[in-house]
Amino acid sequence: MERNVQQNALVNLVAAVMLFIAAFVVTCYVNSLAGQAGSVFLGLGGLVAFASWFQLRLEENERLEKLEVEEMARSRGETALFASKESEIFPARRVRAQFEKFFVPGFGVLMFLLEAGGAWLLWRWMGKVTTGIVDVRALPSLSLFAIFALLLFLVGRFSVTIARLENHRLLRPGASFLLAGAYVCAFIALGIAGIVAKISAADLWAARALCILLGLMAAEMLITLLLEIYRPRVKGKISRPLYESRLVGILAQPETLFTAAAQALDYQFGFKVSETWFYQLLQKNLPLLLLAQLAALSLSTCVVFVDAGEQVVLEHFGKPAGPPLTAGAHLKLPWPVDKVFRYRTEQIQTFVIGYTPDEQSESAKVILWSVSHAKEDNYLVGNREPVTLQNENGDTNGASKAPPVSLLSVSIPVQFQITNVLDWAYNNGDQTNLLEDLATRAVVHFLAGVDVNEVLSSNRLEAAQTLRERIQAAVDATRLGAKITFVGLQDIHPPTTVAGDYEKVVGAAQQAIATNNYAKAYAIQTNSLATAQAFTTTNAAVATRLQVETSALARAALFTNQIPAFEAAPSVYKQRAYFQTFAEATKNARKYVLFVTNTQNVLIFNLEDKIGADMLNLQVPNN
Amino acid sequence: MKRNLITIIIGVVLVVIFLLLLFVFQVRQSEVAVVTTFGKPTAAPITEPGAYFKWPWPVQKIYKFDKRVQNFEDKFSENLTADNNPLLTSVYVGWRISDGGTFLRVFRDGSVSAAQQRLEGMLRSTKNAVVGRHPLADFVNANPQGLKFDAIEREIQDAVQSELSTNDYGIRLEFLGFKRIGLPPSVSDAVFERMKSERQLQISTTENTGKRDAQIIESTADRQAAETLANANATAIRIRALGEAEAGSSLHEFEQNPDLAIFLWRIDALKQSLNQKSTLIFDERTPPFDLFRNLPTNSVSP
Repeated sequence: MERNVQQNALVNLVAAVMLFIAAFVVTCYVNSLAGQAGSVFLGLGGLVAFASWFQLRLEENERLEKLEVEEMARSRGETALFASKESEIFPARRVRAQFEKFFVPGFGVLMFLLEAGGAWLLWRWMGKVTTGIVDVRALPSLSLFAIFALLLFLVGRFSVTIARLENHRLLRPGASFLLAGAYVCAFIALGIAGIVAKISAADLWAARALCILLGLMAAEMLITLLLEIYRPRVKGKISRPLYESRLVGILAQPETLFTAAAQALDYQFGFKVSETWFYQLLQKNLPLLLLAQLAALSLSTCVVFVDAGEQVVLEHFGKPAGPPLTAGAHLKLPWPVDKVFRYRTEQIQTFVIGYTPDEQSESAKVILWSVSHAKEDNYLVGNREPVTLQNENGDTNGASKAPPVSLLSVSIPVQFQITNVLDWAYNNGDQTNLLEDLATRAVVHFLAGVDVNEVLSSNRLEAAQTLRERIQAAVDATRLGAKITFVGLQDIHPPTTVAGDYEKVVGAAQQAIATNNYAKAYAIQTNSLATAQAFTTTNAAVATRLQVETSALARAALFTNQIPAFEAAPSVYKQRAYFQTFAEATKNARKYVLFVTNTQNVLIFNLEDKIGADMLNLQVPNN
Repeated sequence: MKRNLITIIIGVVLVVIFLLLLFVFQVRQSEVAVVTTFGKPTAAPITEPGAYFKWPWPVQKIYKFDKRVQNFEDKFSENLTADNNPLLTSVYVGWRISDGGTFLRVFRDGSVSAAQQRLEGMLRSTKNAVVGRHPLADFVNANPQGLKFDAIEREIQDAVQSELSTNDYGIRLEFLGFKRIGLPPSVSDAVFERMKSERQLQISTTENTGKRDAQIIESTADRQAAETLANANATAIRIRALGEAEAGSSLHEFEQNPDLAIFLWRIDALKQSLNQKSTLIFDERTPPFDLFRNLPTNSVSP
């Protein structure tokens, strides 16, 4: 009987190792991420199966040794034998005890490291890997993993059943791993089937799930190792192997959950809930319920609901079955006979040419040419005036010509709608990218054939219309089945590095206008003042003339009247006139009268004007 | 018994699904399938959509290819134009698998990425050659008539298609177009500098034209003002002269007694000349100060 147990353990070990190698080879062949994670799981199963088999061998040796000793004791009946040390009498027992004391905990730590390290490294690696499953190898790999699952299930199921027998507990860890390995292989096959069904992330999701499983196993192992330190050790009580995972056990035999759940419910409710008819019904008909669920799932694929604004292409064995389905409910045959592909035909879809949004600069509320507001591409644009560079001698004959081009940054949103969903679905593989290529080509072509100043200054609306027509023509030529609804030249400007200079041109024009206006103002002022001054001068002359004429006439009249007076007393009249005039004229003059009695004296007069007091007290301004 | 029946049903369902997976395959409208038996293509590629029977792997293998137009974009690479200008170009290409069997034979496992790599190599070589035959003005020209964009694209497409047909890759080129054209960074910097200098030229022209115009306006105004004032002065002089002439007509009245007239003008002149602040020094002989003569209070004792 014991020999059979060892053989079973050996079969488990061989099966685990062989299927680990096979799964790893197929994984490399199909390049499956889930296969990588599953291979790690199967590899761990191989290690556990090995530890299990080795421990079984030690226990078998111990049992045989014990039998031998008992036989010898019965036949000789000598007490000397029992006088010697136990370790000398039972070396196999000592080896087994040493194994359990040192190797098993060490093996537990190794398992923890492998599980945790495997989960962590695989998770990181999945984030970086860019290649996926090789399509043409998917179906064969799917079949192989299904076969592995079947083989593991058969071996694992048998071992699990055997392990329930007394003294076969050490078979249980390896058997659980084999049975769980069967489900893991089926899970990997499911991921590959998802890829076959065009669910591109199915393999990655399966791989992530298996990584999480490895992580949980690592956590369980860590907790088990910590609890092992404090576990009370009762002599004679057989303990559960440290490397046996309860999680793997539940995964391999989910029906044990029923037992555990039943015990928990019984305990909670205080009566045998597990003996109620509902619980019994649930337990007995679980496969039937699962089958019914599968049928319901399959039936649910017989109805397709099409939302407003979308159209659905229905394929019957890959062939389009009639016109696209429009909004409403429709019946169809179950998957995979009939498959549906949805397209949002009414929705206006948009992409932008020449512009990659940048979150930081997008938040700016003011958009200036001279401040970069996105990652902008520069487009070549024509330059009407040829640019010629002077050569070293300063002349332009034979000198090299600089490219007669300029560069522009553009941001052109293009909006489109799918108008013919069958053309959209079946004529081109990557429709959106193709549409973007066609639109970009139209923009590049358009800009290459216009002058930079013209496109910057005028005809923007016409340019947008021209672009829309050109893109639509290209779309029609490639039978994309789309309608270009809008093309906008919303942002077309010189590149950021030169935009400032373009703005300065506008500034200079404004400055020139300002200078001109100042000059006009000056001209108006000058001319007005001159006109006024001319008028004043002329008027003053007229006044002078009038004064001169009037004064002359008056003086003549006066003189005519003075003559009789003078003739009456000539000397007196003259004296009188002289003194009257003298008195009047010198009234305000400073006068010095000299009496020249001593003609020898020299008189010196200081006739300098005195500085006025007000001049001496001038206040100096502060600034 | 009932439990066994359910188990059998589940088993049968699973077996049927498994057998269907093994023996039946679908070809979509957008696909072309090639069936190989022990690695050898058995018949013409299946282009019609539907469900087909096959022997399970490894007897028969199914290779499915997308028969729709597939597009890719080559690298933005530098070429030299016929007039020795460096030009960066990138083209997009639309291609499709025209013969699935040939495609599978030429490219290992019918790898689309391998086909695109081969196509890209071919495309780059052809593109370099074609771009080198045209001057830059054929690619960028402010005069749209001088632009030969379409012709260049056709030239590249024809050359690549000819290569594909000659070597029978099972691929057909559907369309080709320039996705981007540009200049190397160093040349772009030079173009930026030139664009800046053009703006600087415009700025200088505008500013200095403004200054010139302003100066013209100001000097014209000055000239006009001077002219106005000169005319006004001349008019004033003429007016004054008329006044003088008119005043002169009354001079004959003074001829009745010229001595008196001259005397009166003299004292009038004296009066006018002393209107300003004056300092006068008289001696005692000047009338009326001669009144001070012989006054005792003013005589100086010897």
